[in-house]
Amino acid sequence: MSLSREFKVGLFIVLTAIVILLSLLYLAYEKGFFEKVFTFTLSSKSGDGFTEGMPVVFSGFNIGKVHALELNDKGIVLIRIKIPERHVKWVKKDSTFILYRPLIGASRIIVITNNLYSPQLPEDKIPEVEIVNDINDVITKVPPLIEKITLIADNLETLSKNLANPKGDFNRILNSVTKVTDNLDNILKKVDKIADKTDAQLFSKDGTLPQINNILKDIIGKLEKLNTTVDNINKISQDASEGMKDFRTLRSDIDDTVNAIDDVVNKLDDLISSKKDPEFKAP
Amino acid sequence: MSFLEKIGHFETNLSKSFTDIFFFAGIVLLRMFRRKTYSSAMRSVLVNQIYFTSVQILPVFIAVSIIFGSLLIGIVFQLLKGLGLTGFFGNVLMGLIVTELSPFFTVLLITLRSGSAINTEIAVMKVNSEIKTLETFRIDVIDYLLVPRVINGVVSLVLLSSLFSVVLMFSGILFSKIIFGISIDAYINILLNSANFSDIVIALVKCAVFGFFITLIPIRFGLRASHELTSIPIAVSGGMVNVFTAIMIIEVLSLITKLF
Repeated sequence: MSLSREFKVGLFIVLTAIVILLSLLYLAYEKGFFEKVFTFTLSSKSGDGFTEGMPVVFSGFNIGKVHALELNDKGIVLIRIKIPERHVKWVKKDSTFILYRPLIGASRIIVITNNLYSPQLPEDKIPEVEIVNDINDVITKVPPLIEKITLIADNLETLSKNLANPKGDFNRILNSVTKVTDNLDNILKKVDKIADKTDAQLFSKDGTLPQINNILKDIIGKLEKLNTTVDNINKISQDASEGMKDFRTLRSDIDDTVNAIDDVVNKLDDLISSKKDPEFKAP
Repeated sequence: MSFLEKIGHFETNLSKSFTDIFFFAGIVLLRMFRRKTYSSAMRSVLVNQIYFTSVQILPVFIAVSIIFGSLLIGIVFQLLKGLGLTGFFGNVLMGLIVTELSPFFTVLLITLRSGSAINTEIAVMKVNSEIKTLETFRIDVIDYLLVPRVINGVVSLVLLSSLFSVVLMFSGILFSKIIFGISIDAYINILLNSANFSDIVIALVKCAVFGFFITLIPIRFGLRASHELTSIPIAVSGGMVNVFTAIMIIEVLSLITKLF
C-alpha cells in the first residue's frame, strides 16, 4: 500500500514537531521552568564580577542562577539568586557563598554547605559573598615576577656587556685561562719527557725491571734448591718421628724391665728382711 | 564612467535591490498571515513543495547528517581533548554545533537543492509566460506560487535543522563515551547545563528567517527574468549569489543578537 503524498508530509511534520516539542519540554522541565523557585539575597561590598544569569554552583552542579543585582542605600550590592525547589536543600543557614572568578572560564557563585542537617537558609537572611579572584591573584603575583625578570634581564645585559668588553672580567678570565692552559701544556710536555725517561730506566735492557726479573729468576732457582733441602729435612723429620715411635716402644720395654727389677728388688728385700742373717749370696 | 560614479552606481543598485527584496518580503509576509491565501489549490502546492523539499530527501538527509555530524563531533571532541578543554565540550556541542552548525548545514543543503530549483522554475515560468497566463486567468501568483514556496522554506528549514540537531545529539552520546568515557546520564546533564532556552529560540528563529529568505530571494530573482531564454542563467546565478549573501548577513545578525 503506497501512502499518499499528503499523508507522508503530514507524518513528517507531526513527528518532527513532536520531537522538537518534547525536547523543548524536557529541557524546560530539567531547567526547572515548571517548579517553584526560591529567591535568596546575598550581599557584597563590590559588584565586580557579578552578572545577571551567572550560575550558582554546588559541588560542581548548577543549582540556580543570579536573577538580579541591586545597590542598596548603604552602598552594599544585593545579589538575588533563584534556586529551584529541588535544589533548595543544598542551601543551608550556615552555607558559605563564594564568588569564584577563574582565570579562564565564566565566573560563578559557589555554595559550600558543610552541615546538610542544619536548617534551611531563611529568605530574609542576607549572607555575604566571599570573593576568590584568580585574575587579581595572578595580577598581584605578576609585579614581583616582572621585577625579578627585569633584574635577570639587567644581569644578562651586564653579562653580555662584560662579554663584549675586551678588558672586561670575563675576557680577562678567558685570557688567564689561556695562560693557565699554556702553562699546563708546558707542564704536560715536561711530564711526558719524565715519563719517557722513566720508561727507559724501567724497561730498557739495562733497566730496573729486567734486572729485577733476573734477580727474581735467581731467587726462583735458589728456592728450587731450598725446596730439595726442605724435602730432605721433611724426610729426616719423618724418620725422627718414626724413631720416636721406636723410642717410645723401647721406653715402654725399659719401663717394664725396670718394673720387673723393682719387683725383684722388693722380693729380695722381703727375703732379706725375713732372714736372721741378712747376708745374701749372689749367684 | 568615473570611479566615483561606478561606486555611486553600485551603491544605488545595492540599495534598490535591498529595498526591492524587503518590499517584496513585506508583501509575501502579509499574504502569509492572510486567511484567504490558504485556498485548496495553495494548500496542495504547499504539500507538494514540502514533499519535494523535505520528505523526498529525508533518507539522504538523515544519512548525511549521521555521517557528517558524527565526523564533526568526533573531530571537535578529539580537538577539545587534545587542548585540555574537556570541561567545555557541552558548551561547544550546544553553542556551536547545535545552534550554529545545524542551521548552517541545513540551509546550505536546502539552498543548493531547492533554492536553485525554485529560482530556475520561476525564471522558466516567466520566460514561458506561464505567470502571465496565470494572471490572465486571475489566479493570484503570489498566493498560488510564491507563498507556498516561502512557507515550505520556513517549515522545512526549522524541521530539518531540528532533526539534524537531534542526530548530532545522538552521535554525541557515542563519541563522548568513546573519547571521554562519559556515561549517558553525565552527557545529558552536561548538555542540560550548557543548553540555554534563548540560544535554542534564536536558532529556531534563525532557521525560519533562513527558510524565508532562501526561497524568497530565488523567487524574486526568477521573476526578474525577461522573456529570453538567456536571461534564465543570469537570473539563477544572481539569485544564488544573493541567497548566499543573505545567509551570511543572517548568520552575522544572529551572532550579534546572541551578544545581547
